Amino acid sequence: MGTDMTLRSAFAAALMLVTALPVQAQLKVFACEPEWAALVQELVPDAQLTTATSHLQDPHYIEARPSLIAAVRRADIAVCTGASLEAGWLPMLLERASNPDIQSGRPGLFFAADHAQLHAPHDHVDRSMGDVHPEGNPHVHLSPDQLPEIARALARQLGDVDPEAAAAIQGRYIRWRGDWNRLRSEWRDRAEAIEGQSVVVQHSNYLYLLRWLGVDVAADLEPKPGLPPSASHLSGLLAEPGLADASAILVASYQDPQPAEWLAEQTGLPVIVVPGTVTGDASTETLGGLIGEIIGQLESVRSGATHGSL
Amino acid sequence: MYSRVLPFWLAPLAVMAAVNVSANELNPDVSVTLDGYYKQNDTALSHRDQGFGLGHTELSLSAPVDDLFSARLTTVFEEHDGESEVLIEEAYLQTNGLPFALNVRAGRFLSQVGYLNGRHLHEDDFVERPAVYRALLGSHYYDTGARLNALLPTPFFWQVGAEAFAGDQLSEGEEDIGVFTVNTRLGGDISLSQSWQLGLSWLRNRHAKNADTGDGAHDHEEEEDHDHSHGAAYTGEDLYIADLVWKWSPNGNTRDQQLTLSGEYLYADEPNQFAASGDTNEGWYVSGVYQFAPQWSAGLRYGEVDLLEAHGDHFHSQTLEETEVALSWYRSHFSTVRLQYTHQEATGFSNADNTVMVQYVMSLGAHGSHGY
Repeated sequence: MGTDMTLRSAFAAALMLVTALPVQAQLKVFACEPEWAALVQELVPDAQLTTATSHLQDPHYIEARPSLIAAVRRADIAVCTGASLEAGWLPMLLERASNPDIQSGRPGLFFAADHAQLHAPHDHVDRSMGDVHPEGNPHVHLSPDQLPEIARALARQLGDVDPEAAAAIQGRYIRWRGDWNRLRSEWRDRAEAIEGQSVVVQHSNYLYLLRWLGVDVAADLEPKPGLPPSASHLSGLLAEPGLADASAILVASYQDPQPAEWLAEQTGLPVIVVPGTVTGDASTETLGGLIGEIIGQLESVRSGATHGSL
Repeated sequence: MYSRVLPFWLAPLAVMAAVNVSANELNPDVSVTLDGYYKQNDTALSHRDQGFGLGHTELSLSAPVDDLFSARLTTVFEEHDGESEVLIEEAYLQTNGLPFALNVRAGRFLSQVGYLNGRHLHEDDFVERPAVYRALLGSHYYDTGARLNALLPTPFFWQVGAEAFAGDQLSEGEEDIGVFTVNTRLGGDISLSQSWQLGLSWLRNRHAKNADTGDGAHDHEEEEDHDHSHGAAYTGEDLYIADLVWKWSPNGNTRDQQLTLSGEYLYADEPNQFAASGDTNEGWYVSGVYQFAPQWSAGLRYGEVDLLEAHGDHFHSQTLEETEVALSWYRSHFSTVRLQYTHQEATGFSNADNTVMVQYVMSLGAHGSHGY
């Protein structure tokens, strides 16, 4: 009889759990890149997040893996960059997952690039130019001026998907926006010291931030956007006149460090390896932290240069 | 509440996205795939003749039709013995996001049985499909029909699907629905750097009983020559396929390095009306492809096939063992140049041989995203 009671109460508990689930259901979010997962986390801290890529992966080249298809199937909203960054895998994920909520034109699909002014859009693009996105440079997550608009649009769209939480999300957006403005004025002050510096880059990942900081691009290790650095292109770079004024080589942690190291050996320039997006480490866990970290790295080569260590 | 938000709205208004919609965007995506090769010697069960030749030249148009439907048309140009042919390989509509993650496809399309069959030929890592695919599926089996797929709401990937086809692309027959298939696929990640997928498929060929039984004449040369790409040269009433794929990349960064191991086993019973209970066609392959740099990959594949060639009321047994080594270079995501060596050992095939092949695959225009 005791067993019977236990069974019955267990059954009742299970029933309560099942009926309670839809009410307590966490918002399930599929983020294409970690930066958007971090932003969602600020706006909906209890969201159940799946992130398709990490800072160690090139977001252009992800496979539409079975685990990602299953994650899109379960999600309430997908938050991605857009502007063709995910063209090689996201359409396949959406097609295979067949999630009726996550389809283009519906609130369940958010593209950050739709809410930003992209740099260098092209009227004419052909493949001989390399992997150029006609919409413009999609790596907009490191733009201190554009992120607020993206976050605002994201907060509104998250609210559309989860109307009950809309007011709370809006409140968190306002708080985030205040923090961001404060950070941005700090970065503005710090930028004065590094303005006018120039760096060698690999791909256009950091372009928005570098332009905002007033840091020039001396050269690109990629011969054409999206093509890996070749030996002939690298040796050609040595003759680049801008190289003499460069203060560092800036590469992302998902990129093969060899080309940068080779150029460093030839030129004596320091190599800065920074994550292209947020990581699990405390200092670069948020987009604000990441931008601060990149500025810090640029500051350190600057002071290194003035001490004549080059 | 919105009054508090208002000040923040002012600045972003200035950077509102300038959406530039041109009439171009209403046109379908056009993609062209050029496939050409040079082959030193003829080989058994091959769809590519020796010398210079064009392989699978594709013109494909695709676009969303409206918010519910997408559609695709793929035509293939092929040349055999100086005669050009235009084939319709795909002409289908597909739903976008039905309730319960159901997915319907109707028209002509590639059957989803097995791992390779649903993929386009230009995505392959070797010049031709494994021998067992060439024999039992005509390299890639496509037909006119309908498909229903469901993705189950499980924490891992689990898809179930069924297809019904006219069946005439596999073997001619009287039935309106000559072929139906059932397929399930499971998959997931083992760690950040490893992922896998398992598939099980069953294809029922109701036309198999009427399959061409040959004329009984013992003229092997004729037999080899009778079919290039339409339908499969060998059949079976029930075809079972098991496939397994495992991929590894350091930190999951597929750009720099990736190792792909895949294998499939195909088993077909009852080749035709004269088949006795033990008469079967079967084969398998295992393939390892290592992309060791962003622009380079090397592949090794071994496969066997055990076949029965119909000769009137009896069969002749045939076997083919094939070892292939391929080296591919990708200038960009859109171009491939491949060097391959194929070694064949056979019984019952007069034209088995070893050969060197050089192939290019060039992709022009829109480039759809690839599957797993």
